[in-house]
Amino acid sequence: MATNEQSESEAGYVAGWATSRLSRRELLERTALLGLALPSAAALLAACGESASAPAAATPSKGTTGSLTIWGWKASLDALKLVDGDFQAAYPNISFSYVARPPADTYRNIQLAIAAGSGAPDVSVVEDSHVSQYVQLGALADITDWVKPYVSKIVPYKWTWIQKSGRYYAMPWDPGPVAVFYRRDVFQKAGVDPASIQTWEDFYQAARTIKERTGSLMWQQSKARNDGRLLETLLWQQGTGYIDAKGNVILDKDPKVQQTLEFIGRFWKDGLAADQEPWTDPWYKAQADAGTATVVEAVWMGTFFKSFIAPKSTGDWGVFRLPVWKSGGSRASNDGGSVLAVFDQSKQKEAAWAYVQFHMGRDQSQLDIYQKTDIFPSLKPTFQAPFFQEPDPYFGGEKVRSMFADIAGQIPSAGIYSKDYQQMSELMTAEIQKYALGQQSAQQALSSAAQLIREKTHRS
Amino acid sequence: MLNGLRHRIGRLPSEASAARPGHALLAANPPLARWRGAIRRHRWPLLFVSPFFVLFAIFNVYPILFSFWLSLHDWPGLGPMEMVGLANYAELEHDSIFWNSMLNSALIFFIYVPVMTFLAIVLASVLNAGFLKLQGLWRALIFMPNITSMVAAGYTFRLILDKDSGALNHALAILHMSAIPWLDDVWWARISLGLLMIWAWLGYNTVIMLAGLQTIPKELVEAAKVDGATAVQAFHRITVPLLRPVIVFSVTLSIIGTFSMFTEPYILTRGGPIRATQTPVIQIFSTTFTDLRFGYAAAQSYIYLAIIVAITLIQFRIVSRSDPVR
Repeated sequence: MATNEQSESEAGYVAGWATSRLSRRELLERTALLGLALPSAAALLAACGESASAPAAATPSKGTTGSLTIWGWKASLDALKLVDGDFQAAYPNISFSYVARPPADTYRNIQLAIAAGSGAPDVSVVEDSHVSQYVQLGALADITDWVKPYVSKIVPYKWTWIQKSGRYYAMPWDPGPVAVFYRRDVFQKAGVDPASIQTWEDFYQAARTIKERTGSLMWQQSKARNDGRLLETLLWQQGTGYIDAKGNVILDKDPKVQQTLEFIGRFWKDGLAADQEPWTDPWYKAQADAGTATVVEAVWMGTFFKSFIAPKSTGDWGVFRLPVWKSGGSRASNDGGSVLAVFDQSKQKEAAWAYVQFHMGRDQSQLDIYQKTDIFPSLKPTFQAPFFQEPDPYFGGEKVRSMFADIAGQIPSAGIYSKDYQQMSELMTAEIQKYALGQQSAQQALSSAAQLIREKTHRS
Repeated sequence: MLNGLRHRIGRLPSEASAARPGHALLAANPPLARWRGAIRRHRWPLLFVSPFFVLFAIFNVYPILFSFWLSLHDWPGLGPMEMVGLANYAELEHDSIFWNSMLNSALIFFIYVPVMTFLAIVLASVLNAGFLKLQGLWRALIFMPNITSMVAAGYTFRLILDKDSGALNHALAILHMSAIPWLDDVWWARISLGLLMIWAWLGYNTVIMLAGLQTIPKELVEAAKVDGATAVQAFHRITVPLLRPVIVFSVTLSIIGTFSMFTEPYILTRGGPIRATQTPVIQIFSTTFTDLRFGYAAAQSYIYLAIIVAITLIQFRIVSRSDPVR
């Protein structure tokens, strides 16, 4: 007996040692991922919506029971929690718990759970940039019958990545309508009227004027640590991207891509761009200090300004629509955005849908979230709320909400996000860096990126 | 292996009674009987070391075997695995990004390991010297970075090395030297990574060298000094040659460490710029989690393993041939 105890404690000791090693390593990785997650953390802030008056068939009964696990990152889960009180009142028999991890870490865990065949959450927040991978893999539940009534109520481009063979696999949350955030004080000092910036060429000329008269640079674009996001945003505006509608790589075929990359390159060549790694403290600081005059980003960037980049700068910032590439061209683009997905592994899909529908598909839920977090809805009926017509004091009393609603409705379809987006973006980014550092031309950058992408993703 | 081991050990406590009926059978098979006899004699020690082997089997042996099987398949992480034979290995042959990551590791190795090894020998000699006071304190301080969280250290280095706001470039500015793009240039990024590696691993290697130094009889150096050798000569002609096997051991560990780097570049440079600090392990990680090509990543792991084993074997061959002690 004594011997048994001894051997057990011996085993326990060794096992404990192994476990603590594992968890330390896991911890290291998680913390590491937190760093990597910062760029996508930027994308986490948009919101979305669904309509309150869905047909009865799409609404689970009040008596639905379940105990749900919901994954996401802090900002998104904090937003969802705003609706939890109402949800509990409506569905008293559904309990739920949240697991908050940085986005990149959430995705690693999802992938491991998928590969292991168990351990996936019932519901998770997933960015538009990642959801296609899971849809194509077959990891998400087919929720077509539930989601159908919402198809016409949500800004159309949001459905692009969550469909497969006419079936739907997730519920849209927030879109990422892009505009130009600018420093009013810098523009004023330079004597540049933002309304006069109609084309990107105007934008470039304004950059020269602003630098001459104020010393501020127009935007921050890292050379060696460029993340490719601005290029993607500007390509999206023109309805182009990595691939065409058939999935073929067009980086080296569509002349617009090269023109756009060279346009960004002019800012480097002429010293009009600050070279700071995005989503880092120096990057935020340059914005807060008016070191750079503009930030071309999606609506959720406003939350960053208000919450931590420049919380005291009320009235210093303004927003204008993207300049056009040619007259009559699109002034809308997208960056980021997310969905709520129900996982195929979930054994409580009805309860999961009740949660998703209540949080995403109910006008009031979406309004509550948007009013408190700036996570923008994609549920069109919410755009009619008076809140959208009210001025936003942070942006000097401009009616930016209705402007973003308008942009969200006009986002063109473009070949940026797809099941291979992460891979394509990684391959492109290295070539942009090489171009930015002057080691190759834009044309070379695009042809090597295109070649690598074709090789790695087996596209033509 | 796991089942076999558990089975045998599971029977041990009751073996005295249970094994007897089969005695005749066992006698007919002498090697097995001897094997069983040995197990019975050593049952308690075996039981006590078994947790390691059980865990090793679950967390090492099984994944190693499974990875090989996986490397013969195409698998996106869900659904059926498609057997593709050696296609993943064939594809790997032409994968410039993977071979580039191997090359990166080799370059980074040559950037920091010679410097680190030299510093480790010097530091170990100083620590080993009789005149040094507070030896325990110095040894602890030198080893400290190795037990510091690499994530914390990596972020700290990022801040220090930032080309605009980093402390290092501020210091250079005070000295009227021009700023260095520590993390924004292909070569400087590799050097910066080397600096981080030296910081983190110098203490570890110093301890290895110190252990080696302590095995060298002091009389040898003293005798050389009596014969008129200076301290530098004695160090160069006596200590270093005798330390050679230990140096080779430390360099071998550094080779493996450099090719297996993950956390350091992942935090400091994220593999950039232009993939200049992307190591094989980062590449394998990204093949798995970004590209969702589990089979291809397993093939990469196997080739990577084969290369490390080959380098290590060559290294040991060289040292065993030229070991002056022999």
